Amino acid sequence: MAAFRHPGRGIDRRMICAFAATFFLAVPPVLAAVDVAADTANRSRYWQAASSTAQEAYIDEMMPPGIQVIVSPLEGPVYADERGRTLYKWPLSALRNGSTGDRQHEPSNCTDEVLMYSAGLMSPYPAGLRLPDADRRLSCAQVWPPLIASDDAEDIAEWTLVTRDDGSRQWAYDGYPLYTSILDQQPGDVLGGSKITSANDGGVVRVPVAPPSDIPAEFAVIPSTTGRLLVDNREYSVYTWDGDEPGKSNCYDDCLDDWTPVAAPALAADTDQWTVIRRASGTHQWAYRGKPLYTHKNDPGSRSVVGSDVPDWRNPRWHNVYTQRAVVPPDVFTVQDAEFGGQVLADASGRTIYLYNCNDDSLVQLACDHPDAPQEYRLAICGNGDPDVCLETFPYVIAEADATSESALWRVMAIDPETGHRAAADQENALQVWAYRGRPVYTYAGDRKAGVTNGDGIGEFTGRRNGYKAFVLRDDFGENAFRR
Amino acid sequence: MLQFEAGKNGRNRLLSLRAISSVALLMSLGSVASAQAPAGGRIGYVLTERHWALYQTEGAREECPQGFNIGPREQYDALFPQDSGVERTEVDTRLMREGQRFHRTTADEDPFPFHDAQGTTAYGVNLDGKASAEDFLSPEGEEGIDNQLHRAIGCIAIYRGPDGTFYHFSNLFMYGNAYNRWMIELSGVDDLTNDEDVTVTFYRGLDDLMTDASGKGFVPGGTQRVDTRWGQSFIQEVQGSIVEGVLTTQPTDRTKFPWSFPGIGGGFHLFRDFQLQLTLTPKTAEGLLAGYVDVEQYNHRLNRNWTTHHQSYGQLSAASLYRAMTRLADGYPDPDTGANTAISAAVDVVMHQVHIVHPGQQSAN
Repeated sequence: MAAFRHPGRGIDRRMICAFAATFFLAVPPVLAAVDVAADTANRSRYWQAASSTAQEAYIDEMMPPGIQVIVSPLEGPVYADERGRTLYKWPLSALRNGSTGDRQHEPSNCTDEVLMYSAGLMSPYPAGLRLPDADRRLSCAQVWPPLIASDDAEDIAEWTLVTRDDGSRQWAYDGYPLYTSILDQQPGDVLGGSKITSANDGGVVRVPVAPPSDIPAEFAVIPSTTGRLLVDNREYSVYTWDGDEPGKSNCYDDCLDDWTPVAAPALAADTDQWTVIRRASGTHQWAYRGKPLYTHKNDPGSRSVVGSDVPDWRNPRWHNVYTQRAVVPPDVFTVQDAEFGGQVLADASGRTIYLYNCNDDSLVQLACDHPDAPQEYRLAICGNGDPDVCLETFPYVIAEADATSESALWRVMAIDPETGHRAAADQENALQVWAYRGRPVYTYAGDRKAGVTNGDGIGEFTGRRNGYKAFVLRDDFGENAFRR
Repeated sequence: MLQFEAGKNGRNRLLSLRAISSVALLMSLGSVASAQAPAGGRIGYVLTERHWALYQTEGAREECPQGFNIGPREQYDALFPQDSGVERTEVDTRLMREGQRFHRTTADEDPFPFHDAQGTTAYGVNLDGKASAEDFLSPEGEEGIDNQLHRAIGCIAIYRGPDGTFYHFSNLFMYGNAYNRWMIELSGVDDLTNDEDVTVTFYRGLDDLMTDASGKGFVPGGTQRVDTRWGQSFIQEVQGSIVEGVLTTQPTDRTKFPWSFPGIGGGFHLFRDFQLQLTLTPKTAEGLLAGYVDVEQYNHRLNRNWTTHHQSYGQLSAASLYRAMTRLADGYPDPDTGANTAISAAVDVVMHQVHIVHPGQQSAN
């Protein structure tokens, strides 16, 4: 049980009241105790151990010289340049007041021009507003260096060439011009974007490009907040059962009341990870990594994890299947049941973890969700422009002095509390905070007990455009585990 | 019991959930008269329609003679004229406005006039048992109706039926998202028409609603499993009575009522003195839920769930509404400041009979 700090430090009490005093049901200002056993079970549900070798297989495609495939911790296989930098595309997408991005089979719209004014793509605000970082702003091409081809490069399979305004030639994949991200620092980093679906109004975002997943036609892979969920080609989840044996199904009779074997074609051939097993009835069933696959008749919809609560969510014997999952986060983080109908990542005391999202309203939609970006957006939402209020309403998650992480997605970052930017190396008041994918994570002062997500949606466009979203692991009533 | 004067066109006739409810009530009177005790003394209902209860007259001439309030776009244009020749920054305009949405204050005056709903008539319940000057008369003439939220939102177009976007989408998102699946179960019912002591339990369900063949109308007889894992905070038991087919419950101290939109993790209203007044039949329960709504939570929920973009479609300025609700709040004074923290309100609801499946049950009764 951990007590909350009380607001203070001369902050306008009215603001704190408006922000945090919304709750609630006479709940005392303490958090619930963390259920250690349940948390342990949940950690194995969502993540894989650092020692796990599970990686998503992919189909080898023809590639230009120097291009490689790197299997990243969360996104799975991605294409990278010869230095290991992940490659991204920027597909045209519609926002409220217009579209932006690159058109397929057309030259890049990410140029050397420095755009200093808003494009008015976000209703209801008009275009022509001077951007917060106008006087120090980088061009799109500086933030997203184009993947320039050599003089003798030629089209190859899905890889084609488009000509930039300066006459240089840029590689494109599937018709979309390719870029690297200045945020990616080492091979396997995918900090510039994600395959996870972007919700409407979140901005026109960048997406890492990747070879196709090596899966039979009956399946698909859905990117989620914790890993790459295997589903059938209608996007219904598939499951494995502890009662089976390697390469053999024991699910017959009553078991078939709730579970349907995933049928394999009669002519399907085995691969390294995919095998066809013959059931007693003579029909064929797909098995993945030796485990027979089923769909759950009682799933309420696609992409469900409800089947993994069977027979008991605390001790399930049925499991969703992932081609790979992210490595388990540091031990200071826990999993909490949430009132919205799912589970969230939480801190050690059970307080929900929040991610901050931001894309600016320039025509090139540059990210403003990290410490190297202008902080005016975030400070407006969390503190009405006041960094001190932000530290109270959405405090950073402070890391212990000796904190380490086995997951490449989690790192300790030094933050200047007065600016929100990275701290200088010798800065005395620097905060050592936990960061996920290069962005600090937060808790919310209005969450006064474990499992509540009162900070979710605070910000522009329900927190997806410039604001905070809970780190959702499971959402039985919504899609928040499959959106960014 | 019509909600507004008879209109001359179809649009107005479409307006009233209450009008529809009245027809349904008349059609079902036979059912009320012949109602027997439900099987096992239990009957469940699931929410299929809900709207903040507003008394609307044709053209809003009675309640909004001064017109409707302006919204974010209009306020922005007034504050930052586009033809002024001034170079504006995002920090001083958009971000300032968005920051104020989440850091609400009443410290300064609203720079824009706010139009409260006028008139003496409103739907609702006499929550405090008094008849004071600010109270309303019900359309049926009952005195002491407490519904100050009607004053606050009655002249904001977004809330008005049937075309207000909040009116429409809030209901759409209710029946489309099982997070909002609110149910009541009556137990100890000897007679669905008259029973002086019944127990009413609130639950959140887990399942989709059962519709008719058109997919647009809801029908009784569906099944809902009780959400005992995620929905514990919505489970609550109260006592009530049924008099001539109308269920009235004792007020609760506090009740969480789910009210969320897609993409948001949770969302609810916090009611004090929460109570039901529902006309029961074996197939439906229709009427009002009422209570004092926590002002801070109301606005917190609103701004998380409904963006400035969406608020603009219906001229809802969250900053102005917050000031109005704070001004009009009439219940639960803060022990330190004495300022009221909650505002009286009522919600029009329609519920349909449903078989409630509790954990361990394999099927409905």
